Amino acid sequence: MTDLEVEGAESSVRAPERPSTAKWIAAAVAVVTVGLIALFVVADPNDPDPTRPSNLINRPAPEAVGEFGDGTPFDLARRKGSFVVLNFFQSDCVPCIREHPDLIEFVDQQAQLGVDGAELYSMVTGDTKSRVEKFFEERGGDWPAVYSDGDSISVAFGVALVPETWIIDPDGIVRARFQNVVTAEQLSVTIQQIREAIR
Amino acid sequence: MIAASLNSAFGRAGLLLMLAASIVGGLSIVFGIWQNDRRLLRQAPRYAWLALAGSVLAAVMMQRALITRDFSLAYVQQVGSADTPVLYNFAAMWSALEGSILLWGLTLAGFTAAVAWRFRRRSNDELVAWALFVMFVVTAFFAMLSFGPADAFAAGAPNVFEGPGPNPLLQNHILVLFHPPILYLGYVGFTVPFAFAIAALITGRLGEGWLAETRRWALFSWSFLSIGILLGGWWSYEVLGWSGVWAWDPVENASLLPWLTGTAYIHSVLVQERRGMLRVWNLSLLISTFALTILGTFLTRSGVINSVHAFGDGPVGSWLLGAFVVIMIVSLGLIFWRGDRLRSPGSIDSPISREGAFLANNVLFTVFAFIVLLGTVFPLLVEALQDRRTVVGAPYFDRLTMPIGIVMLFLMAIAPVLPWRKASQELLSTRLFWPGWCGVGAIVFSVLVGADGWAPIIAFGLGGFAAGAALRQIVLATRRQGWRGFVGRANGGMVVHLGVILIAVALAASNSFTHSATLELRDGDVVEWGGHTFALESVTVDINAAESERALKANVLLDGEQVYRPAITTYLNQGITVGTPSVRTGLAKDVYLTLEPGAEPGGDVAVIRVFIKPMILWLWIGGLIMAVGTLLAAFPGQRQRKAVDPVSAPVGGSGPPDDDAVDESAAGTKDSTDGRPRVEVGARSTRTGEGSGEL
Amino acid sequence: MSGRSALNRRVKSWPGWVLMVVIAIAFVVVGSTRSSGPQTPEDRVDEITQRIACPVCDGESVFESQNNSSRSIRNRVEQLVRDNELEDQEIVDEIVNAFGGDLLLVPKASGLDALVWLLPAMGLVIGVSGLAVAFRRWRLEAAGTAEATAADRALVEAALADDPDEP
Repeated sequence: MTDLEVEGAESSVRAPERPSTAKWIAAAVAVVTVGLIALFVVADPNDPDPTRPSNLINRPAPEAVGEFGDGTPFDLARRKGSFVVLNFFQSDCVPCIREHPDLIEFVDQQAQLGVDGAELYSMVTGDTKSRVEKFFEERGGDWPAVYSDGDSISVAFGVALVPETWIIDPDGIVRARFQNVVTAEQLSVTIQQIREAIR
Repeated sequence: MIAASLNSAFGRAGLLLMLAASIVGGLSIVFGIWQNDRRLLRQAPRYAWLALAGSVLAAVMMQRALITRDFSLAYVQQVGSADTPVLYNFAAMWSALEGSILLWGLTLAGFTAAVAWRFRRRSNDELVAWALFVMFVVTAFFAMLSFGPADAFAAGAPNVFEGPGPNPLLQNHILVLFHPPILYLGYVGFTVPFAFAIAALITGRLGEGWLAETRRWALFSWSFLSIGILLGGWWSYEVLGWSGVWAWDPVENASLLPWLTGTAYIHSVLVQERRGMLRVWNLSLLISTFALTILGTFLTRSGVINSVHAFGDGPVGSWLLGAFVVIMIVSLGLIFWRGDRLRSPGSIDSPISREGAFLANNVLFTVFAFIVLLGTVFPLLVEALQDRRTVVGAPYFDRLTMPIGIVMLFLMAIAPVLPWRKASQELLSTRLFWPGWCGVGAIVFSVLVGADGWAPIIAFGLGGFAAGAALRQIVLATRRQGWRGFVGRANGGMVVHLGVILIAVALAASNSFTHSATLELRDGDVVEWGGHTFALESVTVDINAAESERALKANVLLDGEQVYRPAITTYLNQGITVGTPSVRTGLAKDVYLTLEPGAEPGGDVAVIRVFIKPMILWLWIGGLIMAVGTLLAAFPGQRQRKAVDPVSAPVGGSGPPDDDAVDESAAGTKDSTDGRPRVEVGARSTRTGEGSGEL
Repeated sequence: MSGRSALNRRVKSWPGWVLMVVIAIAFVVVGSTRSSGPQTPEDRVDEITQRIACPVCDGESVFESQNNSSRSIRNRVEQLVRDNELEDQEIVDEIVNAFGGDLLLVPKASGLDALVWLLPAMGLVIGVSGLAVAFRRWRLEAAGTAEATAADRALVEAALADDPDEP
C-alpha cells in the first residue's frame, strides 16, 4: 500500500521508456498490500472486556495509604493475611449505586466464612466524607470507607472510571480487577478460584 | 410502541430502498453498456435519486427515533438519553458506530446524486456511466453495512426506558455538530474522483478529460477534509484539556492519511494537465486516497488499533477490510491491465522547474503518508511478530515529520516562482529576491520578540519566505487583472498556501514555546506566573437541571480582569469524569487553564494547571484563509474558456485546460507540448504594459 | 522604465543576496545560541511526560491524559524533576520499568523496533533516488531526440526574452 506511493513515483516517471515498469510496480504493491492485509487479519481486535489486564495483575499491590472516616489510618500493606477487596466508588455515580446491593450481599457471604472471609473496603474517589456517609446511611452497608489524600490510592491503582473493584490476595499480590459493575457472585467465585489456584 | 416500530420499519425501508436502488442502478448501467442500450444508461440518474431518497429517509427516521427517545432501538439505548440537550441529541446520530456509518451513507448517496445531476446530460457517455457505476457500488456497500453488520435500526433489549446519552466528550462542545459531517464530506467526496479514475481505466480513456471533470470535486473534498481535520484539532484543544491540538492518535492519523495523498494529488494533477505526464501516478494517488479512507475507517472501527477515539469493534471491521481488499485488487488489476496505455509522452527537462518542484512535493507527501501509516500500524506488526504491546506516539511522529515539514515550507517558497520546464539561475535570483527578504524579516522579527532554538527560527524564516512567494504571485496577478488576480487555481492556490503557512508557523510556535505550570491557589492570594496573575475567587459546584452532570469549578481571576472557570465535570450516568479547560484566547497567545482534582466545593484552595501557548488562534485563522483560498481557486480563473472536451481526449494527445495560464510563469510554457497556441494575448499585453518585474 | 529595471536588476544581483544570507545566518545563530534562561522544571516535566504512554488508556501520553494513573505518573515525574538527580532519559526509564515496559512512546532503535525508523529513511532514499534516476533518463532521452528539443529550447528562449521578469 504505502510502497505503492513511494515506488509509484518511479513507475510513472519511468513509464515512457519501460512500458512494463507500471506492471512490475503494481505487482510489488500487491505483495506489500497482501502483507498488510495479512497483518490486519491476524491482529486481534482488542475486546472491550471489562476485565482488561492491568500492569498490576500478579504483582505486589502498590502502596496504598489513607484513613478511615473516623481518622484512623489505613495501610493496605498491613492487611496481608486475608483477601482484600477494594471497591473504588463515588457516591453519586449511577453504576456504583446499582452495584451496592451486590456488595452488601458479598459482605454477608464473606462474613459467613469467618476468618477466611475477604475484607471489603470502599475506596472513595473524588467525593467528600459527608456525602459518602449519607450514601451508606441511605443504602446500607457497614464496611469501612477509606479516604486518601488527593485520591492517591485510586491513582496508584490506575483507576480511571468508577466503579472498579480489585482483589488482592493474602500475600498482598493483586489478583483481579473488575471494571464497571460487579456482582456478589462474580466476586465470590473469583476469590474461590484464586484461593484454589494459589494453594 | 407504535412509534417505535415506525422508526425502525421506515428506517429499514429507507436503507433497503437505498440498497436496492444502488444495486439496480449499477446493474442497469452494466447491462446498458453491455447491450449498448443508451436508454438504460439514461435511466441511471433516477436510481441515484431513489438511493438518496432512501438514505434521507433512514437518516430522518434515526433523528426521529433520537428526538422521540425511542428506546426500543439498540442505537438509541446506546447514545440516547432524556437529559441530552437538543443539539447534542441531534449530533448523537454520529456519536457511535452505526449512526456514523448511516451519516457516511447519506453523504455518499448525496454525492452519487450530485454526480448524476451534474452529468445528467451525458449519462449515456461510457466514462460517466462507469463512474456512476462505481459510485453505485460504493453506495450499495455502505447501505449494506448500515442494513446488516452495523444495523442502525436493530431492536434493543426490551423494557429499557433510559440510556446514557452520547459519550460525555461528545456533548459539551458545539464543534461536535460540525466536525464529523464536514470531515465526512471530505472523506466521501474523494469517492467521486476515484470513481472517474476507475472509469477512465475501464474505458481506456486515460487522457486528461476525466481529470478536468473531477478537478473541482477533488478540490472541494480536499477543502472539507482540511477544514474537518482542523475542526477536530480545535475540538481537541477546547475539550480534552491537555492543551494540544494534535496527538497523533490513530483516528487522527486515519484522517490525515487521505489528506496527505489528496494534497499530493491536487499538486501533481497540474503536471498532468499541463504536460500530460504522471498518469499512473495521479491515478495511484486518487486510488490511494480512497483506499486510505476505507483503511482508516477500518482501523478506527474494527478495534484492531487502540485509540481513545476508536468506535468499538464488530463485524463491520471485516467488511471494511474486505472492501479495502476489493479496492486494491480491482485498482491494481486495472492498472496492470492498462499498463501499456498509461505511458505518457514527454519528459521533464529539469529538476529546477515547476514540474520538478511538484515531483519533489509528491515524494515528500508520500514519505509523510508512509511514516504516518507505518507509525499507526507498527504496534500491530510488533504484536503479530513478537506478541508484545508497543505504543508509537507523538514524539516519534514529531521527530520524523518535522524535517519534512521544513523542506515542504522551502518548496512552498520556491515552487510558485518557478516556471514550467526550466528555470535559469538569474530568473530565480530575481524572482526570489523579495520573498527571500520576507523570510529574513520573519527571522529577524522572531529573534527580536524572543524566539530561541534553531528549528522554530528556521521554520519562521521559511514560512516568511514561502509567504513572500505566495504574496508575490498574488500581487503580480492583481496588478495585471484586478480582482481577478485573486481567483483561479494558481492565485486561489496561493491564498491556500498563505493559510497553510500560517498554520505551519502557528504549530511551530505553539509546539516550541508552550510553557506550563501547576499553581496552588489559595483564597485571597494572588499568584504570579509567566507574566500573568491568578487569584482564586471561589470553588463552586454546578449541577445541571437534569441532574446528569456535576461540574466542580474553580473561579480564577486572570490578570485581575476576567474570571475563568476551569472545571472537572462528572457525568453521573456514566461515572465519567472529564476535565473541562477554560481558555483566554488572544492574537499573540492563549492562556489555557485546567483544574486539578482535589478542590472542595466552597473550599478556599484549588490547584490549577496553566499553559501559555503562543499563536493558537492563528491555526484557526489559517484554516479560514485556506477555506477562502479554496473557494477562490474553485472560481473560474480569468475569463470563461470553452471547456476542453472532457470525454473525447484520446490517450495520446492532451489539450491541457489552463485556467492557471495567467500565472506569470506561463511565459515559459508557450512551447506547450500540444503545440497549440495559447490564447493569452490579453493577459500578456496588459502585463507588458504595466511592467511588473519589480517584485 | 529601463532605468528602473536596470536598478532593479542590480539590487537583486549578488550583493543583495549576500547581504540577505548574512543577516539570516547572523540572526539564526544569535537566536539559537543565546541563553533563554534555564529550562523550567514544569517544561521539563511536560517534555518527559510526553514520552511516556498512559498505562490505562489507549495510546495517549501521560502529558495528554487526564486520568488518575497518568496524574500519578505526572506527580512522580514532578517529584523526580524536583529532586534533580536524574537525567530525563533516566526518569523515563525508571517509570517505564516500574510499569513493566510498554510505556515508551518513542520506539527504541534496536531489534524489531528499529524498523520503524529504518523504513521511512529507506522510503525517502528510494523516492529521492527514483526521482534522480528519472531525471537522468529524461535528460538522456532529451539528448537523444535533439531536434525537437532544440526547437523547444528556441521557443523557451523566445518566451523568456518576452518576459518582463527577465529583463
